[in-house]
Amino acid sequence: MRLAELIKKILLIEILKGLWLTLRMLFSKPVTIQYPFEKRKVHEGFRGKHALVRDPFLGDDKCIGCMRCTTVCPSRCIYIKREKRENKMVVTDYIIDASRCIYCAYCVEACPVCALVLTEDYEYSSYKRENLIFNKEQLLKNWDEFVKKWQKDYYFNKFWQPPGIDPSRWPKTKREQGPIPIKRVVEIKKENIDESTSS
Amino acid sequence: MHPESTKELLINMGPQHPATHGVLRLILEVEGELIKKCVPYIGYLHRGVEKLSEDLTYVQVLPLTDRLDYLSSMINNVGFCIAVEKLMGINVPERAKFIRTIMSEVARICSHLVWIATHALDIGAMTVFLYAMRDREKLLELFELVTGARLTVSYPRVGGVRCDINQEFLDELHKFIEEFPKKVEEYETLIDRNRVWLKRTKGVGVITAEEAINWGLTGPTLRGSGVYYDVRKFFPYDAYDKVDFEVPIGKNGDIYDRYKCRMLEFRQSAKIIKQCIEKLPEGSILAEDAPKIRMPASPLKIDKNDIQFEIYIEDKSTEDFIKKFTEVYASVEAPRGELGFYIVCDDSAKPYRMRVRAPSFVHAGVLPRLCEGALIADVIANIGSIDIVLGECDR
Repeated sequence: MRLAELIKKILLIEILKGLWLTLRMLFSKPVTIQYPFEKRKVHEGFRGKHALVRDPFLGDDKCIGCMRCTTVCPSRCIYIKREKRENKMVVTDYIIDASRCIYCAYCVEACPVCALVLTEDYEYSSYKRENLIFNKEQLLKNWDEFVKKWQKDYYFNKFWQPPGIDPSRWPKTKREQGPIPIKRVVEIKKENIDESTSS
Repeated sequence: MHPESTKELLINMGPQHPATHGVLRLILEVEGELIKKCVPYIGYLHRGVEKLSEDLTYVQVLPLTDRLDYLSSMINNVGFCIAVEKLMGINVPERAKFIRTIMSEVARICSHLVWIATHALDIGAMTVFLYAMRDREKLLELFELVTGARLTVSYPRVGGVRCDINQEFLDELHKFIEEFPKKVEEYETLIDRNRVWLKRTKGVGVITAEEAINWGLTGPTLRGSGVYYDVRKFFPYDAYDKVDFEVPIGKNGDIYDRYKCRMLEFRQSAKIIKQCIEKLPEGSILAEDAPKIRMPASPLKIDKNDIQFEIYIEDKSTEDFIKKFTEVYASVEAPRGELGFYIVCDDSAKPYRMRVRAPSFVHAGVLPRLCEGALIADVIANIGSIDIVLGECDR
């Protein structure tokens, strides 16, 4: 027993075993991703850059100014400016401070009209703080950028209608929401309608 | 020059030291290589989560608990949810309990992988770091698949979980768990019998069982000293009473035994996940009587001023629940030890006081006891072995 231990000690058995393992690893497939040139696949429902959904038919955002997102936000980084015009609430500006946001997606879940979304973009670091404060224009632009890259015809975020909660507990407007058609789909549809009316 | 003035030297280790696992600052009084006195200074990462939570509703506090122990944010969330559920008397559905157990154990593996990676790196084994990070990446990707975030998940919710897990996730996880024990063996091949590793860990930072209990240690740090204590076994929460697992305990209470304990916990976690996947029942993932604090249900009046909306307080059912109990303490077994949430409630939708019993905070207190009389190089090994996360320590 003692001799065996001595032999092990002199022959560096345990260290050679470790080295053998590292040598074998040399011939296995590398798992590294060369980041800026090669990107990891982002899973659906990733909570990234903020965007306001542009309604494909109206061309404007869907926000109704109910203030639910501001109330539910734990870091209080959403500011909404709204006005009453002709007995109707109009959202004049919608500001998200992305430098304070903690990406919990509570605002996305609370929105009764599915107007807000955390898109799958994650590359938006900036040298200036002002660039991280998104106003309504910038948020709509974010949506356009995101949709350009979207492969499928329809988009629906998985936090819009939270699957755990019974639909009867959602606000009525939330229940009516469906997948959002992407711009090119809308154009095809419009063409079809035009053709059918002309013919 | 006085000959005695060169005898003792004060060394300021941290808060920007790469091996102190965050912003821990240690003032070491050394005589040569020997440490005479060691005083930890904490609070460099203090964000006032406890005070902040007094101004937020119970649901809003949940994302903040992600930021306590950022290596195992899932378990923090579960701990907070269990405390609030106890407060309101909510029964969580079976499926949600099993999902939470699976996710907790995945988070535990993740956290222990970072621990083995950094601990080995501190002591001088670079290869283990790379291998552990490679495996952690897969688990983080699985988190992303379900929750939409890799690190700050905010996944559980008061009364259940946020979204259901799908078959793709279960398949991937099962595949990972099948080959995971082999990966653990890989790490062990590299360091388990390595003579450098043994010299650095065996008989270093010894703490006896009695002392460990007196210092209030929990988790693998306590079990390394040979004390059988695990919140999962003693006060079962979620689905831990329905699965079969062992609690590995050490003997000598030195760094090597703590390391061994955690290595065995890898295998036990894999075992728990496997059982949970097999037993996963069908059903809903959110309790029926869960308060509506999650989703604003009542219609809103727009003519009020902007800030004065208190949607959650309008929901009377929540208040009725809360009136039953005024204070509650619930604890879970985090990778570092017992993580407890103590909540005092005053009939509103916001906690009157929330106190977090952070294992890292307690463990930081034992550092002087472990380090005094040892060498400077052992300080790093000790910090690694008690596995502190300063985000949780300072809160």
